[in-house]
Amino acid sequence: MFDPKIVLFIASILFCVGVYGVLSRRNLIMLLMSLELMLNAVNIMLVAFSRHWAGHGAGLIPAHSGQFFTLMVMAVAAAEVGIGLAIIVAIYRRKHTADSDAAADLKG
Amino acid sequence: MTLVFLVSALVAFAGSLLMVLHKHAVYALLGLLIAFVASSGIFLSMDAPFIAVAQILIYAGALAVLFLFVLMFTDTSTPGDAAGLPDAIGSRAVFDSKTAAPKKKKRKRGQLPDFPNPLASLISPKPMALVISLSLLVCMTFAIYHLPASFGSFASLPESYDTGLTSSIKDSNERAPRLVEYGTTEAVSFTILEGFPLAFEVVSLLIFAALLGAVLLARRHLAGAPSHRDARREQEQPDV
Repeated sequence: MFDPKIVLFIASILFCVGVYGVLSRRNLIMLLMSLELMLNAVNIMLVAFSRHWAGHGAGLIPAHSGQFFTLMVMAVAAAEVGIGLAIIVAIYRRKHTADSDAAADLKG
Repeated sequence: MTLVFLVSALVAFAGSLLMVLHKHAVYALLGLLIAFVASSGIFLSMDAPFIAVAQILIYAGALAVLFLFVLMFTDTSTPGDAAGLPDAIGSRAVFDSKTAAPKKKKRKRGQLPDFPNPLASLISPKPMALVISLSLLVCMTFAIYHLPASFGSFASLPESYDTGLTSSIKDSNERAPRLVEYGTTEAVSFTILEGFPLAFEVVSLLIFAALLGAVLLARRHLAGAPSHRDARREQEQPDV
């Protein structure tokens, strides 16, 4: 019942829910939140792979590298959210909306 | 562990659905928070307690508060997210938000809001986005189904890992080999500092750059609006 395939399946469901959120929402904050959900699903997959290889005789560092990558993804996600929310606040000051269609100045 | 995993997975799925489908951004953030906490339970069930705690600290602690702050700053009631409007992704280009925006009814102070229907607060499903994400899910399920047979179950963990280091034994001069268990803070920190020290340092640079960038972007005069100082200067010298 509890095996790597089930974990990967759950993670891919979460990822696809995130993809649906990115495609269906137009609010920039909701887009960022859906992106976070997708990154979180990737984290679950990485930890599942780490646990899988730890059970198949990997050494200390190879067995934990999946968890290390998860920490890196968390750091990158935090940086991304910081920058992204600052950009959203800047767009909101100019356009007075957080709609993704408002930021179309480069469309030409 | 199986029970922890199943419950966490169900709660994470429910939370993510709440996030994607709810019209109000604060409730969506609540759903995201539920999904994060539940996925920390998934990490816990896969013998990764350090990652689980880091998930709660970083995502549920820091990111959710950041999102809440920005939700407070900005008006998130965009017309495209409201139910009942033609807002499938195909019709984005022709949708004019200014003309089609529904006029909000002003509620009088003290008047109670209408009784909330839970289904009315969900946004209507977008067919194209649903098709795209479901087909992606089918592809990923296909790939997972065809994984090698060794992915059929989690094999049992080894007792401990040898770090190659020694530590002193209490009340004696001898030293014993330092053993760590899988998933503990000790093991993860050994992996970071022994296995990937360069990536660790580069990430600290990245976070520093992100910090500077966020401060610069959020400053008022860069956003195009006149700063307080400029406005005051204009008030003092009106003829300039």
